Amino acid sequence: MKTVRVLFQKTGRAVYLSHLDLTRAMGRALARSGLPVWYTEGFHPHLYMTFALPLSLGTVGLCETMDYRLLEDDFPLDEATRRLDEALPEGLHAVCTREPVMQPKQIVWADYRLDLRCDFAAAAAAFAALSALSELPAEKRTKKGPRTVDIRPLFEVLEVAPAENGARVLLRCRAGVETNLNPNLLLDALADRFGFVPVSATIARVAVLDGNCCDFL
Amino acid sequence: MTLEQLGLLLSQVQKPARYTGGEMGAVHKEKRPDMLRYAFCFPDVYEVGMSHLGMKILYSHANRREDVWCERVFAPEDDMQTAMREMGVPLYALESFDPVREFDLIGFTLQYEMSYTEVLNLLDLAGLPVRAADRAGLFPIVVGGGPCASNPEPLAPFFDLFSLGEGEEVSDELFDLCLRAKREGWEKARFLREAAQIPGIYVPALYDVTYHPDGTIAAYTPREGAPAKVTKRVVADLDGVFYPQSFVVPFIDIIHDRAAVELFRGCNRGCRFCQAGFLYRPIREKSEETVERDAKNAIRSTGYDELGLTSLSTSDYTRLEPLLDRLLDWCGERHVNLSLPSLRIDNFSPSLLEKVSRVRKSGLTFAPEAGTQRLRDVINKNITEEDVLSTCRTAFAGGYTAVKLYFMMGLPTETLEDIRGIADLAQKVVDLYYSMPEKPKGKGVSVSISVACFVPKPFTPFEFEPQDPIPTLEEKQKYLLSCVRSRKISVSYHDATVSVLEAVLARGDRRLANVIEAAWRNGTRLDGWEEHLRVSAWEKAFADCGSDPAFYAARRRSYEEVLPWDHLDYGVTKAFFIRENKKAIEGATTPSCFVRCAGCGADRLTGGACRCK
Repeated sequence: MKTVRVLFQKTGRAVYLSHLDLTRAMGRALARSGLPVWYTEGFHPHLYMTFALPLSLGTVGLCETMDYRLLEDDFPLDEATRRLDEALPEGLHAVCTREPVMQPKQIVWADYRLDLRCDFAAAAAAFAALSALSELPAEKRTKKGPRTVDIRPLFEVLEVAPAENGARVLLRCRAGVETNLNPNLLLDALADRFGFVPVSATIARVAVLDGNCCDFL
Repeated sequence: MTLEQLGLLLSQVQKPARYTGGEMGAVHKEKRPDMLRYAFCFPDVYEVGMSHLGMKILYSHANRREDVWCERVFAPEDDMQTAMREMGVPLYALESFDPVREFDLIGFTLQYEMSYTEVLNLLDLAGLPVRAADRAGLFPIVVGGGPCASNPEPLAPFFDLFSLGEGEEVSDELFDLCLRAKREGWEKARFLREAAQIPGIYVPALYDVTYHPDGTIAAYTPREGAPAKVTKRVVADLDGVFYPQSFVVPFIDIIHDRAAVELFRGCNRGCRFCQAGFLYRPIREKSEETVERDAKNAIRSTGYDELGLTSLSTSDYTRLEPLLDRLLDWCGERHVNLSLPSLRIDNFSPSLLEKVSRVRKSGLTFAPEAGTQRLRDVINKNITEEDVLSTCRTAFAGGYTAVKLYFMMGLPTETLEDIRGIADLAQKVVDLYYSMPEKPKGKGVSVSISVACFVPKPFTPFEFEPQDPIPTLEEKQKYLLSCVRSRKISVSYHDATVSVLEAVLARGDRRLANVIEAAWRNGTRLDGWEEHLRVSAWEKAFADCGSDPAFYAARRRSYEEVLPWDHLDYGVTKAFFIRENKKAIEGATTPSCFVRCAGCGADRLTGGACRCK
């Protein structure tokens, strides 16, 4: 038996799946795939699956990972990718399967790409002003109720570039078990502080990184 | 519409995955102008509609044809509906996102009366006039089917056609006619005339209704060659009938989230209150080989971890134990749970219990339906108190500690003694538990009794019966609570107001259409949900239309009265229902069809083939 990590993408209609929906969909896909997967032992055996970093509903995911266990140590990983991919619904796509190198707790950053339908100059000004702030108190929903925290140390604006219908922005946000920043919170802050409201925003998580900004493997 | 446009709405609503389609098994096709576009609507939310096996069968069945593309449509919740109306997004189908009003055929499955206002709401959300007479063009054609099509009269002005009975065969004939009408550019009037010639298709506009001064029906008169009686369709051979090879697998958690296979259609029991038991006759079983094949297919193609064996009375399936022997190990190896709804008390053997216990050990649910033997005989439930107690004894000995018992109140001839009988029976179950030395150690027993209000339905021996008025039902509910003494017994009951509305709609006539439309315009929809139903909208609608709900719900019909569904033939004859009604009042029972054929008449539909013979 060995643990494997599949890299997958969540795009199109599948973007609107909640984390729970995704878990169900993956479990059923694994069952349909006929792969020799490991079930937990005990009174109610269930498929063993873990996701390194859950994705918010509505966000595109281009570098998502899920771990599960194969019963056969020498099972070819390309074959595992192919069979899972064939069993996945529209919008979910298995890219490759590897043996895990890092632990999910090593995740520190995630990069997001924001495609904003808006006036480019307004976007550029708003993000410049956002970067210039020394602190940014924001209300975060936590398990203990809403709490005001300074989110300024939790992100970095990497790039604001013109795009066909507005702007394409690259953001690096804190991620992982300890601290997580949802880029939607930054969009809310831009609206509140600088009155910047794009007509529409498509957010994609494009990279998950460890403390040294290396890809999570 | 594109997903990007839809995204603006989806970011504002709860559980957006209900509105995006794209599930495993959803059927996508390349659009062609000569193809029939069919929007199959379930007038309730996604979680309910996607739990319905019939819709899954007919969806796959239609899509097996290259010249038909069938898509799914469900009712949006309030947040989504508001966003759609505000942003001018019309009702769309889940596969293509194309507006429903552009489809050729719009089908509604009518599973319960309380979904009627939502039918109107969905037509309106699609941007279509709700009345058939105001939809002048050939397309879209609006068709209704399902159990409520057995008395479609309250909905008649909103629909072009109704399809009576089982859909597998008649839908192909209807698709062919639609495609021909499309190719040849027919007028709608011609299409309706031709459709009325398809057996099982009822075209309400081709029937004139006249009334007596007292409000009862004088006559139904067919026009333009429409048949005097429309006979429902049945599939004679269930082993040969189409069954899907794959199913749409929802992303979100729905009500019945499992793979399902059918064991048989119809029922051998003849409980006099039960519409399904008569509507789906004659009884026809699938062989255990067919069920096994369908079940394995369903699990393999969906990846579900639960399999439901469905029928009206699962323990009456004559091949149940051999089937379980075939499925139990196969399911066990794959970590698939087997669920067996609708078990009967009187044939629940220890060996069946042992098999059921291997798959789950939660509570057991049984339906004695009435509290005294006298009343159980009136409704022909054909079970005794000893059946209930001996089954519970078996269950308790097998380690069960929770039992759920279903009852009805407001049944014909019922007195307060029968109501007390419900509490007494529950108490006997509690006493039985504590009298058993072999009961599970250190655990208490829990007996839940759930009491529904009786709703008289068409095509049952009780179709002539008055329903108890609301104050009587509420009084009986209070009395029942006062009879329960043990804290081991919990009681829940249904809202009497909803049951009365259901009774009005179930046995309504064409004049009720005005009330339904007014109630919907007054703002009620999704009436099956407590949080949506607005009783005041209905009350105002009855008052404004000058319609008396008691005329429909609380009035006894004579055997001679022309009932709004008398021109529809569901196999079982009215003479049989009259005979059974008389026996009910005498408290005389009719045995299961497997013991002796009761001569209900349904075997005419299959040329004499019926499992009871």
